[in-house]
Amino acid sequence: MRKIKKQKIYLLALLLPFIMFVIGFEIGPLVAMIKNSFYADNGIQVTINQYITIFKSKFYLQAIQNSLVISLFSAVVSVIIAVIAAYSITKFSQKIQNRILMITNMTSNFEGIPLSFSYIILLGNNGLFTLLFSKIGWDVFADFNLYSWTGLILVYVYFQIPLAVMLIYPSYQGIKKQWKEASSLLGGSTSSFWLHIGIPVLLPSIVGTFSILFANAMGAYATAYALVGSNYNLLSLQIASLVASDVALKPQLGSALGVLLAATMIGAMWFNGRMMRRIRRDLK
Amino acid sequence: MSYVTIDQVTKGYENQVVLNDISLVLKKGEFATLLGQSGCGKSTLLRSIAGLEDVDLGRILIDGKDITNLSPRQREVGMVFQSYALFPNMNVFDNIAYGLKMKKIKNIKSRVKKMIEMVDLIGKEESYPHQLSGGQQQRVALARALVMEPKVLLLDEPLSALDAKIRKNLQKELKRIQKELDITTIFVTHDQEEAMTMSDRIFVMNKGQVVQSGSPSEIYTSPVNTFVAKFIGNYNVCNMEAFRKLVRSTELKGNEVAIRPEVLQLVSVGEDSLDLQENWVIKGIIKDVSMTGNVLRYEVETEESVFLVDYLHHRGNMFEQGARVHILVPKKECIIL
Repeated sequence: MRKIKKQKIYLLALLLPFIMFVIGFEIGPLVAMIKNSFYADNGIQVTINQYITIFKSKFYLQAIQNSLVISLFSAVVSVIIAVIAAYSITKFSQKIQNRILMITNMTSNFEGIPLSFSYIILLGNNGLFTLLFSKIGWDVFADFNLYSWTGLILVYVYFQIPLAVMLIYPSYQGIKKQWKEASSLLGGSTSSFWLHIGIPVLLPSIVGTFSILFANAMGAYATAYALVGSNYNLLSLQIASLVASDVALKPQLGSALGVLLAATMIGAMWFNGRMMRRIRRDLK
Repeated sequence: MSYVTIDQVTKGYENQVVLNDISLVLKKGEFATLLGQSGCGKSTLLRSIAGLEDVDLGRILIDGKDITNLSPRQREVGMVFQSYALFPNMNVFDNIAYGLKMKKIKNIKSRVKKMIEMVDLIGKEESYPHQLSGGQQQRVALARALVMEPKVLLLDEPLSALDAKIRKNLQKELKRIQKELDITTIFVTHDQEEAMTMSDRIFVMNKGQVVQSGSPSEIYTSPVNTFVAKFIGNYNVCNMEAFRKLVRSTELKGNEVAIRPEVLQLVSVGEDSLDLQENWVIKGIIKDVSMTGNVLRYEVETEESVFLVDYLHHRGNMFEQGARVHILVPKKECIIL
């Protein structure tokens, strides 16, 4: 009995650096952020005015709305593409699969300022492809403006897809060949297999991936900042300008926006969880 | 009256022949077993009948209809897999009902209910596969195949993932259900005991060919070659030249002689009551005694080879290790190969 206790203490001691890290860099800032959001601009009076300011301001509400829309849209598009892409990857030989995954892994880390600049160089107003195509006479990119909502979506989807593929791909390994065989012997077509068995089995992974993509897009800052600067009204850009700009620092208001950002992510995960329990009743 | 006909079916992967010109015929309602070691082609043959593998040559007919080029869902066969292959996101009822829904068959509820009764799973309708034991999962898989009223039921080592006791139980039940529905069944196994207990007819397969077919007792008592003799019943297979030396006889012909271990008798050296008219006599020394529950197995070393001798375990351990004995080999039990 005593021995077990001692062992437990050692194990806990090993966890200590991790626990300290989590408290210091995750829980600490979170608590500070929540606390800060309930202070007035002077940092002395306790108030809920910051939230009232946000909900009365069309500007901030639009930022929240824009962020939600771009996150939802890019997450949905990326998940759909990734589900299909990951399935296609499973059809290659193991060797090619490994190579594709390596590239996917690499590109999934390709985001932020380098990604934006790559896009600017290739598809910006004076981008390589933009000029090339206009010289050739193709006008596919004539109406395309990288520094717009469409451009932002394109870049978001670009950095979301590899991550989504990486997250969904492993779950295809869980789909057994014999389920397909059983389904076909029982009279099911390929599409009825995917509709009734394949997709439901993949669903936890799809939903989980969707949550991560949504959060990823909500929090994305550098990519958007480098591409559209402050031209486009996004929640993460507004928070940054309130806590780090050199014009008007309002950290308390920034904190309140941060709390709302966190709340939407938690809300999205909760909603996903509920939806999934409804569809996959076996996973209780 | 042939119901299932496999006509000169051949199949290969790259340079390897998996099924080599196989022909066999089954009657309606027959319980047939494809028996063989892993890699002998038995599962491939079963999967070819199901349409899950294409054949290179030959035809497969069920109830007079050529199904060789039909897709699995057009073949009207049911299949049970070794790994059950239940759909994990569906409960027992939905798993069984899946095929009926796919084929848009009416009165699903009553048909599924009847099946659940038949495989003795009442009360488990709402359970999901992961909440069931292996034996229960296999019952669901069986019900799922049977509810479609297939013309032929294919069973691919359905019991080999289960432990001994449940396996014995399911063997009996499978047989009962098969008789009750009078459904033509093809069963694949590598377990000769299982094949013996369950089948009306056994097809012993080796290297992509059927080497012998017949009723369990035919296969057991008259193996046609060394492979079957060794695979089916632990036969003592002895080179004929060596055997002639052992029994000091020149009248025997053939290449090899096969003798079942349970027809041999041991007599202590010194006892005179040897019936030389009916038996061959071989001198030997008991090298080892092992016990498998109800059977005592002696390994008797002779001048030429080691013989296995089985005794029912009711007279106690009669011979000690190292004892000098005579082996009595009944002449009429010697199978010349």
